[in-house]
Amino acid sequence: MRGIFLFCAVFSILALGCICVFLLANGLPFIGKVGLGNFFGTKWDIHNGDYGILSMIVASLYVTALSMIFGVSLGLLTAVSLYKFCPRRAVAPIRQMVNLLAGIPSVIYGLFGLIIIVPFLRDYISPNGVGYGILATSLVLSVMVLPTIVGVSLDALNAVPKNYYEGALALGATKEQGVFKVMLPAAKSGIMAAVVLSIGRAIGETMAVIMVIGGSPAMPTSLFQSVRTLTANIAMGATELSGDPMTALVATGVVLFFFALLLNASFSLLKGGEKRENKRASKANS
Amino acid sequence: MKNPFSLVSLVMALVLVITAGAGCGGGGFDSSKNIAVVAREDGSGTKSAFMEIIGLKGKVDPVGAIQQNGTAGVLTEVKGNPVAIAYESLGYVTSDAKTLKVDGVAATVANIKNGTYKIARPLSVIYQESTLENDICQAFLTFLRSSNAQKIISEEGYVSLLDDAPAYTANGALSGAISVSGSTSLQDLMDDLAVEFQKLQKNVQVVVTGGGSGTGYNNAESGVTEFGMISEEFDLGKAPTCTVYTVCNDGIAVIVNKSNPLDNITMAQLRNIYDVDAGASAIIKWETLVN
Repeated sequence: MRGIFLFCAVFSILALGCICVFLLANGLPFIGKVGLGNFFGTKWDIHNGDYGILSMIVASLYVTALSMIFGVSLGLLTAVSLYKFCPRRAVAPIRQMVNLLAGIPSVIYGLFGLIIIVPFLRDYISPNGVGYGILATSLVLSVMVLPTIVGVSLDALNAVPKNYYEGALALGATKEQGVFKVMLPAAKSGIMAAVVLSIGRAIGETMAVIMVIGGSPAMPTSLFQSVRTLTANIAMGATELSGDPMTALVATGVVLFFFALLLNASFSLLKGGEKRENKRASKANS
Repeated sequence: MKNPFSLVSLVMALVLVITAGAGCGGGGFDSSKNIAVVAREDGSGTKSAFMEIIGLKGKVDPVGAIQQNGTAGVLTEVKGNPVAIAYESLGYVTSDAKTLKVDGVAATVANIKNGTYKIARPLSVIYQESTLENDICQAFLTFLRSSNAQKIISEEGYVSLLDDAPAYTANGALSGAISVSGSTSLQDLMDDLAVEFQKLQKNVQVVVTGGGSGTGYNNAESGVTEFGMISEEFDLGKAPTCTVYTVCNDGIAVIVNKSNPLDNITMAQLRNIYDVDAGASAIIKWETLVN
């Protein structure tokens, strides 16, 4: 029996190992073969042996950054509102609704973006008649990351000892000052963890992005320009390409994997920081 | 705090609904806007054929082109986007989009047959010789060559290549399933052909899936599906062990939104729209084409 338990426990490690080996064994030699200069260049032209993914890295970073600006400002204010400012009776339903957002399959976000957001941007906002691009994608992604930001930062706010807030009020702070100047700073590392988690979601999202990004492997110069993210690059070619171009997609996966590792590491660091802070806080209380 | 909160949320909800409604409406054609160039993904047979015929073989798309992953996506984009231009399998174009004349020649089956409409390419199936040891595959290939198939090909707007094809005679002993995958340009026609074949051969099932010509090459070469569909001249390098049979010819139509006043486009203009290296002669705005 113990053997079975052990196998189950080891299985996920095995899966991770297999994926790592597959990515690195295929991707790294390919990067070595075409050269760093080519692989991190700006020209993606698979018919002529150019596999530059720099424009896609840049597009991925732009999309993620912009969706964080939209998503974090909306999500953080939602969390603050749920924490102190909205009627008690409305808190549970609103939280439920926000959590429901997390249950919507990403392809449906993509459809919504494709049918509503892209035509709207094209006809009313865009200066050049293109709705696809970084802005459309960021709008879709910022809604997708809301549940993570609201949920995790609300938990972080709730974990801050109540007497911080009461102390602030006792010293003459208004409700707003108490929340924004005392509670938010105290919940800082938890909120940062929420941001890192949603960056992970935004940079790794594929299906919704593919449908609204446009797909042209060009360096982004405008919010309304068809571009391509790392994930879109892999998904658009994976079923049709073979040979070197296919391996180039695996190498793109290596870069994406590297980003994911980086985000995971910073998330663990932040979580550690939050635990230490809470410990310090509860010690100070006792 | 209660009232301002509900007021704000009400206003937000209203704005969202209005936005959503407006998004569905769509604007009209505006010649001061940029041409939204619609292309297909790398690996698409329509793309490689189109680029080769207009003289841009092996070139990448112009900067910022919108890449659609299938014929249906291209048509949807052109239908909804007043400033889009795209290329699309002629047999697939519906009345949802406007087909342009190229150098003054309309994209019709007759003009493709007599060679005046230049943008045309073969639609083919590829298979491994060993596949034909399967009686169903052999029968399906015979069916594709029959008058039954040629009739459907002509009806659907494609160019039949066989004039006096024999009728197909069903073989009652056949039963089983085969699958065909690849080019989305050929997929619609292949669906119709498969339905007809299944009518004639009651116990046979033909499963047709898309994926693009690249998928067609890969699947036929590796034996994932019995037949692969491609929509370009057969490239032996992409599937060295395969044999090709050309089902029909197909024009590639240049399509724009219905609200677009343009009727005719020249090869040179097309080149300057789709050429990434066109430089100063690149056509960016509709004003250049429409007065």
